[in-house]
Amino acid sequence: MRSDLLTNVLSELNGASADIEASAVISTDGLMMAAQLPSGLDEDRVGAMGAAMLSLGDRTAQELSRGKLEQVLIKGDSGYVLMTHAGSEAVLSVLAKSEARLGLIFLDVKRAAESIAKLV
Amino acid sequence: MENKIDFEQLAHETRILTGFTNAHETLLIEAAPDITPHLVHVTEAFYKILHTLPKAQPFLDGRLEALKKAHLNWLESLFTGPFDADFAQGMYHVGMVHVRVKLPVEFMQGAGTLILSELISVAKEVYQDDAQRQADIIRAINGVIGFSVTIMQESYQASSLAEELDKFLAITGMSRTLFNNLALAYEN
Repeated sequence: MRSDLLTNVLSELNGASADIEASAVISTDGLMMAAQLPSGLDEDRVGAMGAAMLSLGDRTAQELSRGKLEQVLIKGDSGYVLMTHAGSEAVLSVLAKSEARLGLIFLDVKRAAESIAKLV
Repeated sequence: MENKIDFEQLAHETRILTGFTNAHETLLIEAAPDITPHLVHVTEAFYKILHTLPKAQPFLDGRLEALKKAHLNWLESLFTGPFDADFAQGMYHVGMVHVRVKLPVEFMQGAGTLILSELISVAKEVYQDDAQRQADIIRAINGVIGFSVTIMQESYQASSLAEELDKFLAITGMSRTLFNNLALAYEN
């Protein structure tokens, strides 16, 4: 049930922008809770790696006096990975195209993270 | 950490690695009545040497008699067997205790050599009239000391890795569960 609701949020997020290629909700322990991923991506790896990156981002922001972490953004030549907390128990991870307009995506992701936080 | 280890496998592999055979085990058990009365002197000689090392003092102060007793019990166990999974687990635990009190690993390695040397002297004396027996017993003693020290070293290595992982988790802020899930995701 909760998984369905989370999947709905992800579907809405993926539909909000053609630049968003995939998204997933992960527990802070790295387990997949819901996902809209393309085939070929290993859910376990996406989950664990996303949570690990966010954990490292938390610690980096803290160590470098950047305040409370809002998001972790990774840019590769094929696109972006954006991770953000969705409440204290979950992580929202989004894959976006390299030409994506980040400002709009940040807004959509923020809204989705707020919705997810209410569900987990 | 100890409950995740297959001690039967550890004992089997360490026996192969150290050349400690069933024949050696039989020889040691047969030699027990001849050797055991001398073991108290081996323990005394060992701690006498340790006393000359200032670095060893913090590990001896206030607990010398208890250490000597444990040491003698261990020496006696080298001549009773069986050198099976339970023995391996016991040796691994001794290694863990050494790690916990932060005994430098070189102390344990050095101690193995010192004790071996003392036991060889005992074997030479006890079997001075039987050169073949003397040589066989010395080989068996060499095997069982190597077997014991190698297993103890295994726990040093495991503890050292666990310590490194704890540091890594503390630095990155990752929980152990997250680390385990990450490791599982990349297991194959």
